Amino acid sequence: MKKLAYIILLTLSFTACDDYLDIEPVGQIIPTTVEDYRNFLTSAYAINTGSKVLTTYRGDELSLSATAVGIEQYEDLFIWNDENPSPLTSAYPYASIYNIIFYANHVINSGDEMKGGVLEKEQLIGEAHALRAMQYFDLINLYAKPYNSSTASTDTGVPITTTYDSEKPYPRETVEVVYDLILSDLESAESLLNVSQQETGYNYRFSILAVKAFKARVYLFKNNWQLAIDEVNQALAINDELQNLNSNSAILPSEYNSVESILALETVASFDMTENASISEDLLSIYDQTDDLRFSIYFNEESDGTYHSSKSADTKFKVSFRTAELYLILAECYAQLNNQDQAKAHLIELANMRYTPIGLERYRTRINELNSADVLEEVLEERRREFAIEGHRWNDLRRTTRPLLIKNYKNQEFRLEKDDDRYTIPFPNDAIINNPDL
Amino acid sequence: MRGLLYILIFIPTLLLGQNQKVITGQVIDNATKSPIIGASVYVSSAIIGSKTKTEGVLDSSMLGTTTNFDGEFSLTVNNDVISFLVSYMGYETEKVTISDNDTHFTIVLNENVEALDEVVLTGYQKIEKRKITSAYKKVEMSDLEQSGVMTVDHMLTGQLAGVQVQPTTGAPGAPAKIVIRGSASLNGSSDPLWVLDGIPLEGNDIPKDFKDKDNIDNLQSYPIAGLNPEDIESITVLKDASATSIYGARAANGVIVITSKSGKKGAMRVQANGNIFVTQKPDFSKLNLMNSAEKVDFELYLANRTDLTYQQGRGDVARILNANNDYVNFQNNGFNNISSASQNAINNLRNSNTDWGDVLYRTAINQQYSVSVSGGNENNNYYFSTGIFDEKGTTKGTGQQRYNITLKDKFSINEKFKVGVALFGSQTRTSSYITGADAYTNPSYYSRNANPYLKLTDENGNYLYDPDLVERSDLNLDYNVLEERENTNYELVSNSLKAIFDANYKLFAGLQINTQLGLQLDFDKTEKFSDEQSYFTRKYEQRSRYNTEDGAAFYMPKGGILQNWNSDVFQYNWKTTVNYNTTLNERHELDLMAGTEFRRNKKTEIHAKGFGFNQNTLTTIAITDERSLTNALFDPYKKSYFENAYASFFGTASYTFDRKYTFFTSLRYDGSNLFGVNPKYRYLPLWSFAGSWNVNNEDFLYDIDAISDLKIRASYGVQGNIDKSTSPFVLGEYYTESLLPGTNEDLIRALNAPNANLRWEKTVSSNLGFDLGLLNNKVYITSDYYYRKSTDLIGLQSVPLESGFSFINTNWASISNKGFEFLINTVNVQNDDFKWTSSFNISRNKSIVEDIEIREEDFKPSLKGYSPTAIFAIKTAGLDSNGLPLFWKDGKKVTAVDFYNLEEGTDGSQLTREEHRNLYSYVGDGAPKFSGGFNNSFKYKQFGLRILTHFNLKQTVQATPSYYLTQAEPGKNYSTDILKAGTGNFPALIGFNTPGFDTDLVYNWFNSSDDGRTYDDLDIWIKDISYIRISSIKLGYSIPKKQLDKLKIASLDFNIEGRNLFVLGTNYDGFFDPETYGSIYSQPIPKIISVGFNLAF
Repeated sequence: MKKLAYIILLTLSFTACDDYLDIEPVGQIIPTTVEDYRNFLTSAYAINTGSKVLTTYRGDELSLSATAVGIEQYEDLFIWNDENPSPLTSAYPYASIYNIIFYANHVINSGDEMKGGVLEKEQLIGEAHALRAMQYFDLINLYAKPYNSSTASTDTGVPITTTYDSEKPYPRETVEVVYDLILSDLESAESLLNVSQQETGYNYRFSILAVKAFKARVYLFKNNWQLAIDEVNQALAINDELQNLNSNSAILPSEYNSVESILALETVASFDMTENASISEDLLSIYDQTDDLRFSIYFNEESDGTYHSSKSADTKFKVSFRTAELYLILAECYAQLNNQDQAKAHLIELANMRYTPIGLERYRTRINELNSADVLEEVLEERRREFAIEGHRWNDLRRTTRPLLIKNYKNQEFRLEKDDDRYTIPFPNDAIINNPDL
Repeated sequence: MRGLLYILIFIPTLLLGQNQKVITGQVIDNATKSPIIGASVYVSSAIIGSKTKTEGVLDSSMLGTTTNFDGEFSLTVNNDVISFLVSYMGYETEKVTISDNDTHFTIVLNENVEALDEVVLTGYQKIEKRKITSAYKKVEMSDLEQSGVMTVDHMLTGQLAGVQVQPTTGAPGAPAKIVIRGSASLNGSSDPLWVLDGIPLEGNDIPKDFKDKDNIDNLQSYPIAGLNPEDIESITVLKDASATSIYGARAANGVIVITSKSGKKGAMRVQANGNIFVTQKPDFSKLNLMNSAEKVDFELYLANRTDLTYQQGRGDVARILNANNDYVNFQNNGFNNISSASQNAINNLRNSNTDWGDVLYRTAINQQYSVSVSGGNENNNYYFSTGIFDEKGTTKGTGQQRYNITLKDKFSINEKFKVGVALFGSQTRTSSYITGADAYTNPSYYSRNANPYLKLTDENGNYLYDPDLVERSDLNLDYNVLEERENTNYELVSNSLKAIFDANYKLFAGLQINTQLGLQLDFDKTEKFSDEQSYFTRKYEQRSRYNTEDGAAFYMPKGGILQNWNSDVFQYNWKTTVNYNTTLNERHELDLMAGTEFRRNKKTEIHAKGFGFNQNTLTTIAITDERSLTNALFDPYKKSYFENAYASFFGTASYTFDRKYTFFTSLRYDGSNLFGVNPKYRYLPLWSFAGSWNVNNEDFLYDIDAISDLKIRASYGVQGNIDKSTSPFVLGEYYTESLLPGTNEDLIRALNAPNANLRWEKTVSSNLGFDLGLLNNKVYITSDYYYRKSTDLIGLQSVPLESGFSFINTNWASISNKGFEFLINTVNVQNDDFKWTSSFNISRNKSIVEDIEIREEDFKPSLKGYSPTAIFAIKTAGLDSNGLPLFWKDGKKVTAVDFYNLEEGTDGSQLTREEHRNLYSYVGDGAPKFSGGFNNSFKYKQFGLRILTHFNLKQTVQATPSYYLTQAEPGKNYSTDILKAGTGNFPALIGFNTPGFDTDLVYNWFNSSDDGRTYDDLDIWIKDISYIRISSIKLGYSIPKKQLDKLKIASLDFNIEGRNLFVLGTNYDGFFDPETYGSIYSQPIPKIISVGFNLAF
């Protein structure tokens, strides 16, 4: 009996002490409310993986200055030296992408415990699905072969994780499985989201519009032309505005506050890009340098006659989706479906906002004379012009013709052969070290 | 006590009827001749037992009484009892023989040599020494005291077996690193817990890597530094689990209990002492640096080697040659054919010697004084003291001052209720030089690299800047050591108050309640100032550099930089215990204790920075440039706040049978604020068992007089710790960021990966030891063997990146420590005039990492099976004909190319990390194999001589390479090792184009590709050292009492002491001290000569 009394006394004092010991450290929190989870997901949105910047060095838009400070970070990317790069080379993103996936997974899996309004919750979880889809889309386009419907179910892709576990094995899933996850995430996102278009300043967050634009891109990458067209049309129904450079060239059409911004999430250039790289001759040559209004605002001419990108790591240049892409997806899909008139019409619709009246006339004449094979090529050239230094080029090269690329650096010629294996980037070293299944 | 009396009354009654007699007597103190009250007078069970003469039955009941207020006693005993014992705490037990006609005795007791050891204060309990079951060591401050030593931690060096004390650097106020019985952790703290009069002190952890340049140059305050050693009575070190587990989780590295002085019953006693001590300039020649003539020749040699192009324009010789367009001419035609202007200028350099030892170091005169007043009566005792300590460091610009006030008072409100108050207040001011982020200007580092011919001022007294202190190839920031000392200031002011209140209430005999509240308040103010004209400011400004159309610009305003750190620590510790002691049937002694402890600490830190500081107006200039917003170096204000709470419940039980066998057990539940930590870890259970056997109380030793004490102890216990940064939940931290222009949002960043599987770190310790006293304890030996195994140690481990994280905290390692300690104290000679005592201790700790996860990316081998301080090296095999190092591989000598598998046209080594790890061989342990101390003290009449030494035997140490074979810089000074490059084991200096087979490959490897920095690990930089340091020689003289009596002075002593005068052992050339061997940043440990007095009246 006495023993029992002691036990009770002891238990009581222990419980009282729990209050004594409950100290919430200043600045620390375990997220519980939907607002907490919103702040939590914002952290994931804030992670800059750098995949757009690094693949731009790998593509054909730049020419590198061998004498620039810190060039060691980029030179082996530039010359596709994946075998034995300098230890100073920037690694393609891997950990940071899975870190974003960790955040998204935690938000998605915490739906039941999350306290707060249903609408806010659904919007947030919808965004998490879309953000996760975006990360897998990034991964599959960095580290796996381009989508090919006949081999996708056997081509190896990337590991998938939808819950946190540090101990489970992470085998590579097939390209098909990864794409299925991307699409199912986008479906979930679309059904949960209730904001059709985000306010400027918060348009790094996913909206119904952004998800539709994203789906259109995914279908484009999967060569599902009609599905892509359908998604574009739904997106255009929400916003079909393009920035007319004839009347407004104060900002770039890719800036976060342009009328055509859909999702301003990814950083597309680095601060040092202007110092260590200029625009390649090849890219400069495809512009109508006098009457294409983009030329003078996309690029700055230096005293030595080279051009540098005006896009930098400044947050105002963040961009992932914008209306111009929707038009170009339409043009590309119609060209693929042999509907040349529609394809040309959409090209001209965009050109209308990009060229001076004289330039537009020249453009219109040239486009209308193109035969069916050349229209598709023209759409891809137009994508190059429109999306210069926006991180599209490497993926466009991959998913289309994977042509021979030749670069000169330090008086040496480097070649990426047609259909070269290096169109797929090997997993970074630290990823392989930590995951023997890669 | 009353219970004992009852028993004492009853036993004789029971025994009546036999042939009995009454013995009476008085017990008096030999020294004072005054009666001793409460002395035990008893007949040993052994004596009675042997005399019952009943077959198979030992009547082992004990018979006894205690003396009354007049020291008198009366005891009824059987006629056949022939002797009895008289004992009293602090006195030697006396055996008295009863003869037939003698029934009245006057027993004179002598004070025990080990008297004060009789009671051990653990901080929670007072335990009589005979009941102690654990490994502990108590030392009296009077045996440790050294002048010119500011803090008590340094005084422990070599004094305690199993307690490793190592100075971190010679700077005034720098802490000593103390490790008790090896480290129980790989990543965590290995510092013991300091306890002052029962109150654990917060904030005594020393940076783990205390040889790191930043940790050497940063000023930090330690609560222990605020205590004046003069106020300390004794120090008890608790080493094994049975002693430390009662302190909870934070005591896993052992406990050091400080007992402060208290007033003693009697007339007021005033004590004053003072010391003047001279800290001597270090012996700069220890560093073996080149002098001007050697350096100039070396620069000429480098200039002549066309293959060595590293920084070839640096150094005065190259500057002279280049100024006169003689560089190529010199290379082609030699010194004799260059212009006479060059020749003269270069020859002048040879005679221009700047003694960096004089510029950077000094001899300083310092002082320390303390006064104390103490006294007391039956109901009250008091102790007040004050002290000043003022030390200027041997490194110019360093120093520390401390002012102390201590007030203690204990009084009895009535017979049952006693209270005590103690206040320890101090202010400590520490000053030092400032260094930049890369410590180029750390004096020890700078003095090794600055050219011996460098002039500091021109004829007009203007500062000359060091042209060879290079930031980057295109940037020199002006540095002049004199200007820097003049225009910068770095000071830490610590104000500290420790207050202890305790109350003790006796409910009834044997049952007491104690409660103790301790407060610790520490206010630290640090100010770092650098004026506009200083290297520090120039360097800081560089961090605000940006490019404009017109070139580089800086957004940091012109003017000085003022930085302030204010930290405010508040801690309370409230402890309540209930103690119950009882003795049953004279043979069963039971001591029970139960208690609670609540502790809370809060720490606020503020770091403010101002730029463009003007010393006249005391104003700063705000930085308006937006770029500064993203640069933390220019954050004007930062505040942080930490709070921790602990609640603990504990109990101990001790049972002693027949004064021979003691069993002890303790249990403690430690709870702490664990935000987001798995609730199952909220309370950690810590427990121990122990036992001891007082063998000398056994019958079979009763007649062996040579053995005066023998005790065997054993203990076993478990302690634990939990990582507070790991949570089964996703724990987030707030910060703000602007994702797009115009918006600023609160973000929650995940702090760590959720981990529900983390187990707590567990340390299981066992201890076996004995205490042996021989010849009336003239020889006293204590020895212990211990084994501690720490499992599930928490550390960072890499995980698949797909999890979203790179590293998580996991239970990844286990360590065991085993060792022995041996201590022998002897009284070698003792007579009226002369006394010689010695104390020798030695200990050996062997630490082994039993288990550890290998990280794939590691360059160095796993520590598994080795000590955590194991040193791995690349075994070299001399040099080849080109002076390139050769290596041992599979028993054969191979070249660097074969050893590292270097291939033309690649980035160097083709080795995998695993192969890279296999290049290494184990060469030794960074912790000494044996360490200890040997102290002797002599007293002849009025003279006293005490010599303290400590030693470390066979310790493997690694020096920073004295030069790099591919980067011999003409602009830097070197140790004379570089002159031997290419001979013996010293690799030759090479460049890319140095002739020889594959030299270019070797050059590329060591110059840039060697990511694992194997050059630093070549065995030529590693050696075994052993040394013994004579830490103190002190000669004292006491003025004879006769002369003092006239002046009404109780005692007056004078002393002269030399500290750190000699080190004997392996040579440690290239470094100031064997303790800091390998560190090129540490300040020298000063040699000190002091003279002082000690006066009491």
